[in-house]
Amino acid sequence: MPNNSHAFLGRTKPTISDKSFLIFRARSGTTRKNLIFMKEYIFFIKHTPVMRVVKDYYVTIERTVTDNAIIFDYHHYHNNYYYYNLSAFAEMQTRTQAPSPLEQFSILPLIPMNIGNLYFSFTNSSLFMLLTLSLVLLLIHFVTKKGGGNLVPNAWQSLVELIYDFVLNLVNEQIGGLSGNVKQKFFPCILVTFTFLLFCNLQGMIPYSFTVTSHFLITLGLSFSIFIGITIVGFQRNGLHFLSFLLPAGVPLPLAPFLVLLELISYCFRALSLGIRLFANMMAGHSLVKILSGFAWTMLCMNDLLYFIGDLGPLFIVLALTGLELGVAILQAYVFTILICIYLNDAINLH
Amino acid sequence: MLEGAKLIGAGAATIASAGAAIGIGNVLSSSIHSVARNPSLAKQSFGYAILGFALTEAIASFAPMMAFLISSVFRSKNQRKKVEVS
Repeated sequence: MPNNSHAFLGRTKPTISDKSFLIFRARSGTTRKNLIFMKEYIFFIKHTPVMRVVKDYYVTIERTVTDNAIIFDYHHYHNNYYYYNLSAFAEMQTRTQAPSPLEQFSILPLIPMNIGNLYFSFTNSSLFMLLTLSLVLLLIHFVTKKGGGNLVPNAWQSLVELIYDFVLNLVNEQIGGLSGNVKQKFFPCILVTFTFLLFCNLQGMIPYSFTVTSHFLITLGLSFSIFIGITIVGFQRNGLHFLSFLLPAGVPLPLAPFLVLLELISYCFRALSLGIRLFANMMAGHSLVKILSGFAWTMLCMNDLLYFIGDLGPLFIVLALTGLELGVAILQAYVFTILICIYLNDAINLH
Repeated sequence: MLEGAKLIGAGAATIASAGAAIGIGNVLSSSIHSVARNPSLAKQSFGYAILGFALTEAIASFAPMMAFLISSVFRSKNQRKKVEVS
């Protein structure tokens, strides 16, 4: 580290208890405005456990410094000086590893509630699920006020009717072989699943929000419950004859045991694959957009004309990727729902 | 050395996109063939094509997921020790 760029001095213990501070050695040229932005970031990272590590440090703002590339060095606990890129400060982590694109998926307890060892906190994931739910309910409430809306629908009513009609056609088409009344018993559950996933995925596209379905616990929980429900429906409707689903027609007898085992494994894998498909698509998409926008931002902040012009490349790729992400969000909700209908069809009419 | 191995692993995980590309090309090629044979079923064929595309793309997403897993989950001993200081 070059030792001719001291901007400030001294290390004293902070006197105010709750605020944690970070020590910085700043290069000459940083403006005071950037350092105020830094203080807000300190407030933001107060809630992450890493603040315990840095509680012995503090910020002094002595002179203006310039921003340069990030060199993050954490070797000596009491003798650390950080260079920092102030304009990319929001992305910087105070941990020792490099900032990873997976940090947008971290779950922060907003209202910590712990009963013994059980973790009941109200996390940001719960907050965004509540937000999704309230959005859906508000939309449907305002459309069906006063007993059901207009005959010639306005735009919002069209949207709700579109979703309803779409899932209705899905259910009618896929689950064959039953009378209409029986089929429609499955409709509410599938409609709710589709609407919830659609709004959750779309809400994750809002900048700085949290994608609920980008955690495999949530999607696997949903897919496992639906899988168990479909199996129960299959047993209910066909009794023990439901197990004949595992043996396809026209199989010679010596081959049968292996085939049954394979079919059983493939059947149980459906639950996993349903959840993981949604989770992987959401997580990979968001991480990719984060990485590319990191490139675009870094290029924007290097004080060089060539980089500024070359920044158009990553910016357009981010634009295209965001469009793709919107398409994938809607598509994955549709695929989840249609696969549920197909599995239901399999369980009811054993092929 | 762990850093180098992590980078190699993350790069190797990206090879899986080759299979995904072939699969998606296959699905859409079949869709084009079927629409050419019977243009009146274009809408239905398109629906199946999109379904097939989404299912295949799901496997393509496993590759970046594994790459991120490899590059972010494994931490060397030094890093782990520093983070625990508090």
